[in-house]
Order: sequence, then structure tokens, then C-alpha cells
Amino acid sequence: MYGSKAWTAAVSPKGVASPKARSEASLLAQRRRHMHPSFLRMGPAALCITCLLLVGFMAVLYLSQVGQVVAANHQLQDIRNEQAALERQNQDLVDTLTREQSPASIAEQAQKMGLGPIDPKNLWVVQVSHLQEMGQGDGPTVPPLGVQP
Amino acid sequence: MSIELRRARSRQMVIFFLGCGGMIILLGRLYYWQVWQSGSLSRLANSEHIQNQILNAPRGLIYDAQGHLLATNVVRDDVYITPLQFASDFTDNYPTELSTEVHALHQVLPSVSEDQLRNDFGFSLQAVRVAEQIDPGQSQRLRNLHLPDTFLEPQTWRTYPNGNLASQILGYVQDGKGIYGIEAKYNTLLAGKAGSFTAETDLNGNPLTVGASSEQDAVKGLDLTLTIDSFIQYFVQTSLQDAIQQLDAQSGTVIVLNARTGAIVAMAGYPTFDPNHYGDFADQKGCVGSEDVYLNPALFCDYEPGSTMKAFTMAAALDQHVITPDTSINDPGYLNFSDGTPTVHNWNDESYGKETMTQVLQHSANVGAATVATWLGPDRFYPYVDRFGFGQPIGLFQPEDQGGYRTNTSVGWSESDLTRQAFGQSITASPLQVARAYQAIANGGVMMQPYILASINDNGHAGPYYQYSTQPQMLRRVISTETSETLTGMLISTAEYNHITLPGYSMAIKTGTATTQGLSMDQTEASVAGFLPASNPQFVILVKLDRPQKTIYGGTAAGPLWRTIAQQLVVHYSIPPDQQQ
Repeated sequence: MYGSKAWTAAVSPKGVASPKARSEASLLAQRRRHMHPSFLRMGPAALCITCLLLVGFMAVLYLSQVGQVVAANHQLQDIRNEQAALERQNQDLVDTLTREQSPASIAEQAQKMGLGPIDPKNLWVVQVSHLQEMGQGDGPTVPPLGVQP
Repeated sequence: MSIELRRARSRQMVIFFLGCGGMIILLGRLYYWQVWQSGSLSRLANSEHIQNQILNAPRGLIYDAQGHLLATNVVRDDVYITPLQFASDFTDNYPTELSTEVHALHQVLPSVSEDQLRNDFGFSLQAVRVAEQIDPGQSQRLRNLHLPDTFLEPQTWRTYPNGNLASQILGYVQDGKGIYGIEAKYNTLLAGKAGSFTAETDLNGNPLTVGASSEQDAVKGLDLTLTIDSFIQYFVQTSLQDAIQQLDAQSGTVIVLNARTGAIVAMAGYPTFDPNHYGDFADQKGCVGSEDVYLNPALFCDYEPGSTMKAFTMAAALDQHVITPDTSINDPGYLNFSDGTPTVHNWNDESYGKETMTQVLQHSANVGAATVATWLGPDRFYPYVDRFGFGQPIGLFQPEDQGGYRTNTSVGWSESDLTRQAFGQSITASPLQVARAYQAIANGGVMMQPYILASINDNGHAGPYYQYSTQPQMLRRVISTETSETLTGMLISTAEYNHITLPGYSMAIKTGTATTQGLSMDQTEASVAGFLPASNPQFVILVKLDRPQKTIYGGTAAGPLWRTIAQQLVVHYSIPPDQQQ
């Protein structure tokens, strides 16, 4: 609005501005724009409302961010709790597994199945002569299963 | 100025000064709270919404040589009630609610009586622990019940899934600190490093990521792998227990060593304890009823080795070319000394007449061993006793009894000490010291340092224990290879003479029967020490039974158990026979 008034002042009575007058008017308008940015050209009420809106918008943004962080925090807490529960469960399972695999447990289970310790008197060791370990020495190696030598 | 105006001004001044005074008081109070008391109030305020938590480091695990777990951790809940809160929550119908609460708790925790629970609710305390370390099923049932003013507090506990297996090796953990055995010796490594966590909390006490928070992760303890073979350890423990019960003995010890490396394959004592319930064994005694059951008798229960010592007397004489296996003496069953040294008798007072050194070992003749010791003299005998490691600690873990003996430089030493030490009296040693000395004979005369820690797993941290594994460590050469071979031949003959044999395998052993001064002659410590297969020794075994009643001699009491363990070892490790059956 200020711009249009300035423009009106710079035109000739016939309504046609001379080039010189046009350049002076535009320069003036440019200077005014530099000195008075558009938001300062608002009235005080408009400025307050705009500021309030801006503050409100920022507050909404902040609260939204905080809300997201809090939600993520809860999620993180849940995951941590779940991790602790799983670790605890894993420890219990490892403990149970180790107990089941302990020599005492195996001996007890074997006894229930009617198995017992071997009597050394009944043990015989069969010696096979000319036997060599696989992959060692210069002698013939044992062929793979199913292959006739 | 009129009087009224002056009065009005005076009133104004009074009001002004009163106002100023009030302001000064308020400012002073403000200063007091905001500046003077600032620190303590800030701390109080922060404690309301800032959580400082110690993050306990998980204790390192312990494995056996095959990777089986020997010690691990579990989380178990302790149950707490809040009596004051309960009383304030149910002021109107307290008796009814208390009955319901107590009954529900007793249903889940039958070990805690209702009377005890009522008593606990009667305390004027914020929280009372009513049960600890409840099992997971009970925890779940309590969670499902949602009982008011009852809460669960998780605690990490050390657990030993194999019960009493190797308990005297492992020790136990009390209040996060290792007591006895491996748990004590390597406590610093196993314990790890606690972390910390500081953060603001919400109303429920959950930590918030918004705001300042700091976290220092806990560093898990290092995992240890031992040289113990759980299967052999179990077999040795159960066999030892059976033998002690059969022979009505008081206690006993068995050690199985790797003959080449000195690694401890099994080390068992009886009586023993369950480290999961160590408190139940506080009154029990171990080694010959004199020491706590928690102590490892292989290290702590020293004894006079008896005739097992004769092998070392022979080793000293053979190594210095004083005797050969065929050197003979005349053994009338006793040995007199002209200088007043007490007469030495054979254990059975028998006269063997002319006998070779091999026969001295076979007969376990005290006269023969004492004669050899007098031939050697103290200057040639004691250096060998020292080289075999007697009187020297092993350093496996504490506490350890290193035994001892008098030498010719000791106060009060006499010739009698020398002659008696030659057959294992007047000298004490721990079972592990005797086993270590036999390991030197088995290993061609080279003594290795016994060890039980095979490796340390530092869980990926490139710290000082990165990929650490124990390398077998040679202590010293004790005797020459030739002496070792000659002595092994003599010990094979001794095994055959005592009928402690295994078809297909040569075994080198020496029996020992020691008596204790002040006790009757039938209160013995019967032992057998030796190794197999004698031609290529793989394992050294020492069996010691304290005060067996059914039979009191090393050969008859400890011999069968030695053979049983040897049998199991050759089967378990598929050791090929070295003799024709």
C-alpha cells in the first residue's frame, strides 16, 4: 500500500511517469522496503497474533518431539525389560541343560534304563596288529567307507 | 504541616519500615533456602527424580576341559512385604485383608509358615524380606496373584549345576566374593567390573532418555576353563565315596594328573560339600575330621606319605649310582644303629633275608629303605628330597599346607630322622606334593608344575588375558631319564607283586601305609601312588584313604580303588594297551 502511494506520487499529471521519475520512485520504494521489512509493517495486534501463533507452533513442535522421545523411552524401557527377562530365561535354560547333562544326572538316567558301570574283569582289549592312524606315517591309509581296497 | 498530616506521614513511614523489614526477612529467608541450603536441597530434589544405579557385572563362568559348565549365574527373586504400607492401605479391614494376604503368600511359599508371615507383617518397617531365592515357578505365581504391598526383588546368584562335583576345587561365592578354591584365587578376574547408570526417572521410576543421563557399562567377568574332566572327576568322586563307605574310612583324597604336562584331570576329596548350599555344611569336617569340609584335602591335608616315599629314596640312590635294582642286602627284619638311633623294624616285623632293591620295594621293607638312606647319608639324601618338591608349596590355590621335614641342618635333627624319612615317617607332605613327585618319575625325571587353569576367555576384549592359555611349565629335572626308567621297572614289579594290575597294561605303583604318632597302629593312612601305562605314562594317580577300618593297608585298602580309576581312565581316553593280555 505504501508502495502504491509512492508510485502514484511519482507519476506525471497525465498519468504517465517519465523514466527519471520512475527510477526515483522505484529507488525510494526499495529503500523503504529495506528500512521497514514487511512484518514490521503489520499492526501491533497482527504482530501479537502472529507471534502467538509462532510460539504455539513451536510449542506444538517441541511437545510433539518430547512426546515421541517419551514414547521411544517407554519402548526402550520395554525392550530392556524384555531383554532382561530373556537373559534370565536363557540363564535358567542353560542351568537346566547343564543339570540334565551333568554326570550325576546321566548316571541316574542310565541306572533307570538298567545300565550299569562296566566290570573291569569283563573288559577285553582287542589288539589289531599293523594298524596305523589315518593320515599319519607312510603306511596305507584307511579307504573311505564303502570303497573296497 | 498539620498534626494530622504528620501523623499520616509517620504511619506511612512505619508501614514503609515494616514493609522494608518484612522484605529483608523474606530476602534473608530466601537467601537461606536458595543459597545456604541450596546444596542439600538440590540433592534431596534430585534424589526424588534422578536414579543412580550400580550395574552389577555378571560373574565369569567356569568350564571344565570339555566345555561343560561347572559354575554359572541365575537370577532368582527375593520376596518382600511392606508392613507399614499394608497397614495404612487397609486400616478399615486390616485383619481380614491380612488373613487373605498371608494365606495367599503361604500357598505360594509353603516353606514360610503363616505364623511367620503374620509376625513379619507386624513389624513397623518399610520392607521385610520373607523369602529369598525362590524358584521361577513361584515367582510367576506371585506375579499372577498381584498381591498388594508385596514385591519381588531379583538377585543374581552363583549356581553350580553339577552339585558337589569338584566343589573343593571350585569353592563358592558369598556376597559376590569368591571363597576358597578357584572362586577365591581368580575372584578379581571372575568378578568383572561394576558399571553405573544415572538418569532422570518418571513417576514409576523408569529411567528417561530425555534430560541428562550417563551410563557406564558393566564389564562381565572373564570365563575360565579348567583342566578338570567332569566325567573322570565324577567317577573319582563317586568311587572314592563308595570306597570310604565300604572300608568304613574317615576321609580320603584322589588325584589324577596328566603325567606329561602336570595338568590336573581330577582332584577329589571326601567328605565334600554342595556349593549351592554351602551354609548347610558349616559344621562338617573334612580331612581326617580336623579341618573344614570346604578346604581341598589334596592341598591342605598333609600326612606322612609312608612307604610311597621309598620310591624317592630309591630314586636318589639310583641316580647317584649308589645302588642298582639288583643290589642286595640282608634284611633280618630290623636295623640297629650303634649311635643310639632307634631300631627300625619292617612293617610286619618279617625277616626277608637276602633281598634285592626291587624286592625291597615289593616287600615295602623299612629296613631296606633305611639301609639305603644310611648309604646315601644326609648330604646325598636331602638334596633329592628337596628336588622332589617336599616342603615346597605348589601354589595352586590357598590355603595350602606345604608339609615339612627336618634335615641335618635343622635343630634337633638326628640320624633317626634320616632313616625314618627314607620310608616316609618324620616327614609330611600334601597329597598333591606326593602326586607331583610321582609325576616327575613318570615324565622321565622332569617335574612339571601342576596346574588347573587351562585358559581364560576375555569375551572379546583385547585385554591382558586375550586368548590366554596355560602352557605346561617345567619345574626342573629331578633325576636322569635312565634312573626314571630303571625305577619305573622296579615299580612295575611292585605293582605285579601287590596284584594291582590291569590286563594289557603295565602299571608302576608303590603302596604306603602310614601311622600317626599318638594313635593306635591300626589307625592308618592307606595310600597308593603310581602311573600308567608304565611304558608310556599318561596319568599319575594317587589314592589316599584316612583311617580305613575294614582293612588298613595301602595295597588292600587303596589298591582296588587305584585300579578301578586306572581302568576307567584307559577306557575313557582309549589308551592302547602296552602289554600282551
